[in-house]
Amino acid sequence: MTELLIAPPASPGPPREGDALPGRRAVRAARRSRPPLLLVIPGLVTAAVALLPLVYLGVRSFEDGTGVVADVLLRERTARLLLRSLLLAGAVTTACLAIGVALAWLTVRSDLPGRRFWAVLAALPLAIPTYVAGFAWISLLPDLAGFFGAFVVLTACSYPYVLLPVAAALRRMDPAGEEVARSLGLSPWQAFRRATLPQLRPALAAGGLLVALYTLSDFGAVSIMRFDAFTRVIYTSYRSSFDRTPAAVLGLLLVAVTLVLVWLEARSRGRASYSRVGQGGARQGAVSRLGRRRLPALLLPATVAGLSLGLPAAALLYWTAVGVRGGLPGSDLGGAAATSLAFAALGALVTTLLAIPVGVLAARRAGRLPRLLERASWAGHALPGIVVAFSLVFLSVRYAFPLYQRTPVLVLAYAVLFLPLAIGAVHASAAQSPPGLEEVARSTGAGPTAVLRRVTLPLAAPGIGAGAVLVFLTCMKELPATLLLQPLGSGTLATKLWTETGVAAYSAAAPYAALLVLLSALPTYLLGMRTGAFDGRGRR
Amino acid sequence: MSRRPRRWRTASTVLLTTALLLSATACGSGSDEDEELAAAAEAGSLVVYSGRNENLVGPLLEKFTAATGIPVATRYGGSAELAAQLLEEGSRSPASVFLSQDAGALGALQDAGRLDPLPAAELAKVPQQYRSPEGRWVGTAARSRVLVYNPDLVPAGELPRSVFDLTDPKYKGKVGYAPTNASFQSFVTGMRVTAGEERTRAFLQGLKANEPKAYEGNATIVDAVNTGAIPYGLVNHYYLYEKAAEAGGLDKLTARNYLFPGDDPGSLVNVTGVAVLAGRSNPNALSFVGYLLGNEAQTYFAQVTKEYPLVDEVDADIPGLPPLSSLQGPKIDLSQLDSLEDTLKLLDDVGLT
Amino acid sequence: MSEPALRVRGVHKSYDAPVLTGLDLDVPAGSLVALLGPSGCGKTTLLRIVAGFERSEAGSVEVGGRLVEGPGQVLPPERRRVGVVPQEGALFPHLSVHDNVAFGLPRQERKGLRPEEVLELVGLAGLGSRMPHELSGGQQQRVAVARALAPRPSLVLLDEPFSALDAGLRAAVRAEVRASLRAAGASAVLVTHDQQEALSVADVVAVVRDGRVVQAADPWSVYAAPADLGVATFVGETIVLGGEAAGGTVSSPLGAHRTDSALRGQVAVVIRPEQLELAPADLPCVPAVVSHREFYGHDALLRLALPGGATATARTAGHPLPEVGAHVEVGVRGPVVVFPA
Repeated sequence: MTELLIAPPASPGPPREGDALPGRRAVRAARRSRPPLLLVIPGLVTAAVALLPLVYLGVRSFEDGTGVVADVLLRERTARLLLRSLLLAGAVTTACLAIGVALAWLTVRSDLPGRRFWAVLAALPLAIPTYVAGFAWISLLPDLAGFFGAFVVLTACSYPYVLLPVAAALRRMDPAGEEVARSLGLSPWQAFRRATLPQLRPALAAGGLLVALYTLSDFGAVSIMRFDAFTRVIYTSYRSSFDRTPAAVLGLLLVAVTLVLVWLEARSRGRASYSRVGQGGARQGAVSRLGRRRLPALLLPATVAGLSLGLPAAALLYWTAVGVRGGLPGSDLGGAAATSLAFAALGALVTTLLAIPVGVLAARRAGRLPRLLERASWAGHALPGIVVAFSLVFLSVRYAFPLYQRTPVLVLAYAVLFLPLAIGAVHASAAQSPPGLEEVARSTGAGPTAVLRRVTLPLAAPGIGAGAVLVFLTCMKELPATLLLQPLGSGTLATKLWTETGVAAYSAAAPYAALLVLLSALPTYLLGMRTGAFDGRGRR
Repeated sequence: MSRRPRRWRTASTVLLTTALLLSATACGSGSDEDEELAAAAEAGSLVVYSGRNENLVGPLLEKFTAATGIPVATRYGGSAELAAQLLEEGSRSPASVFLSQDAGALGALQDAGRLDPLPAAELAKVPQQYRSPEGRWVGTAARSRVLVYNPDLVPAGELPRSVFDLTDPKYKGKVGYAPTNASFQSFVTGMRVTAGEERTRAFLQGLKANEPKAYEGNATIVDAVNTGAIPYGLVNHYYLYEKAAEAGGLDKLTARNYLFPGDDPGSLVNVTGVAVLAGRSNPNALSFVGYLLGNEAQTYFAQVTKEYPLVDEVDADIPGLPPLSSLQGPKIDLSQLDSLEDTLKLLDDVGLT
Repeated sequence: MSEPALRVRGVHKSYDAPVLTGLDLDVPAGSLVALLGPSGCGKTTLLRIVAGFERSEAGSVEVGGRLVEGPGQVLPPERRRVGVVPQEGALFPHLSVHDNVAFGLPRQERKGLRPEEVLELVGLAGLGSRMPHELSGGQQQRVAVARALAPRPSLVLLDEPFSALDAGLRAAVRAEVRASLRAAGASAVLVTHDQQEALSVADVVAVVRDGRVVQAADPWSVYAAPADLGVATFVGETIVLGGEAAGGTVSSPLGAHRTDSALRGQVAVVIRPEQLELAPADLPCVPAVVSHREFYGHDALLRLALPGGATATARTAGHPLPEVGAHVEVGVRGPVVVFPA
């Protein structure tokens, strides 16, 4: 990552003369200088928070000795499980990359009819929890259960993680590269593949990583589709043996897989830096004419929207209609919505605050420490919610008992689970403003704190806001950790939904699901409108 | 630079402010609740972890409070998850009482030494096979596995004598089941415990060869049988009665329950149960157990959740529901139903997942 | 004279290779020093060390008589009272012009008169409410200067501040900025690779090469009496010919010339193209053939083939221009500079 920060810009501005660029070496040196404690200390706190589950998993895994760990790891079933989970993650990620790139290109770079409408619509599946989508699919097509069902549901729910950063990157990309490629005799497709696609690599890598980890940690889709992936086995392990060691060992394995994926992603970005130097914005990308394919091209966004939005929406509407005949839950609905919003808002706030030091450090400083801090933040992201919840049960009962089963511990669980989403956004937006601005600010007499407060954060605010929205959305949908950690007597839309489906009262559950999706749709819409902030250029 | 960033900045400011306000509300309401709870705890209220669904037992807990004046604070979750949570919490658990959907979770807590013994007087109210041999948990209501069938599709007298008969090719493609449902899994566990590993494996392989139709839940199976989409389904008995209540009476439905005669594993009887957690000597916990085994609660189980009451003097007045005493089912220690892991391994081996 | 605004002594800095190798520099109070050097000579690195953005490995930096960096002591940038004007202004895009200028002022002064006063100084009075993107490039650059001047720094550092501007605009902005700095009485260091820029605005030109200052003097001296051949060729166009010196006089393919050097023997003779005149009545001449010509409007460059195979370039305003291939007579006006061969 050190090298990445100082490599030549991807889209060089007008050529500069002399050593007007303060020398790459100079920049590197500046970034290598000791990072300010103001950021390092909170950054360490953040990393410690993210690593909390490892303490628990370590204790639980090794309490019966290493023999048990080896036993669980060496089981044939574990290997099969790993293979199955990775296959699913690979398939979902590949599909999401294909759909994400195609939709991003159609909505940003082509003259697709109504492309703004499709652009907004295409982001909305983020608002739909996998357990809702999964239920909609299985109630329509019971035979879908298994690998294919899990694949369809996860792809439909998570392709926006690729779409948003890719669309943002396309929007910002200078079309000159593609034009030059065309002038050198390449066909439009060749030009896209050889000039544009390579520039999309960081966005693709970042989005792909999120999708892969989402797939690994998701429980809703694999349980409804009855596909034995990691999370489902971890759940059944808790459920079946009441022996928490195997689940903990599998959890550790999952963390290891996550870290490997994070490392692979960092490698796959290649040696390019993507922070714009130079003045002003890139020229708006030219629109490619689809010609006779203009109408057929509509099939893709329409199909994707139909499968990812239309189908769950129809199922929800149907069940809500059935439910309305039996009387709405009324006041419960409002209370649950308020609780959901409050928990999610707190989760977004705390997660974002924790993310800021790590994200800013990672954007501004090269070197081992910022990189370590940023990677550490991924530790909890691929863990199923229930594992994180048990970790916090274990730790807070022992070391923070007064907070146990209080809002703060729940919010902490959200932070552990979703930190990378916020850190990515902070990193990306902080990386966009040239470091020179901060130096100038220092030279006018402002100290590091003042610079952070008056320059870095205001400039990164839109991106940080987008990250907060993303975390908010994800918290709204979170179920397992909420169930175990929410204060006694409270209920969110997600937990109420769970309660209702627990007695198979789908019609009673539907209004909760519908409200959950509706309340998440607004922030998703905002996120879609502001794709630039969540553009995957962070986390190098 | 365009003007858009400024507009977005306004939007994000609004969002952030909203988030802050909401958070403040959450803290406010959270601490209110916390204070309430703290106050309640001092006043001798009862913290209950319930693996039973809020919709099913919530009203009952309200009745308890109304009857005794003891406030109850409840955490709802899956029985197994809550049992695991109780194990993680250890002796500092805030919970005094654990209501479980099945005996397995109670057995696990008992094995971990987390349960207090119950008074003999309470235990004695319930038949021996529906409580812990060690006297640390007691059943509150029972349910049996049944074969739900559609009389229009199944000629009289063609009903199988035993659940093992379902491997016969004549049932090919005709049986609905919910392979991931806990109730199906504990049925398999019961079969393993009573009929043995090998016979169970053979049964599952035969069942699989017969291409049963997998459903997500028991209720959807009953629906499918009732509409004639499939002739048979392996479910718990009460789903039919719930459906009947929704439809306005059993006579409005086509589907009927069928109990395999004798001690067939297909008619396994499992219980929901209650236990008092060790370490919290809350006298109200025992009142609660007493209440659940009393007339009001037992009647509630019979009438509302359509389960079999376990206390002798209470009669379930559900049309079509045979009396508890007529149920035979396999004879097992229900605590043994905690060996679910082997069941899952078996299901995995056979490929029924 | 009071303390120098900047005194740099023996500054060393290396990355993969040495960049600064014992650099010394003085900036007298109230003067503008241009740091002139080719790409990679280390001048921007020096500027960043003076500003406090980077640490030197050895040596000391004093600003206004105060040690800001030296053995065992480093002041952070915000405590050095050194204003910086970066290459592209780097205005804070989220702040208005007024707020940009007021950025470095103590809170109570931000609402006061100072920001407008400095804006007036740079000729932008009344534009305080604009956002940076609503200004032209030249205006942005002047706001950046105002922002640097507002907290009354001991020293202002300008890092190639005009290189991003159009050629036509550059001279005008340069003059305005120069005037503003003078009006503010500011001491300043201007980093540039453009010798014309350095010579035209600076009080002192410090030529940097290989990580050290090889010559620091007023612009005329640097041009007319360069310290070595490298400086001579860098600060202007030159004709370099082999010659034979005899202490005060030197002969070259262009004839015999006067020189201030006492060197004797084989030397390199450096002559500026504008010293060459075609057919001057009062100078001894040598014959030459025009081999190439470039016309610039106000003047023209002629490439001349000299007897013996050497070539020389003459800058001439004369009309009509001789055709390529024409035979001309050429003489050299004024003394020439010689360096050991």
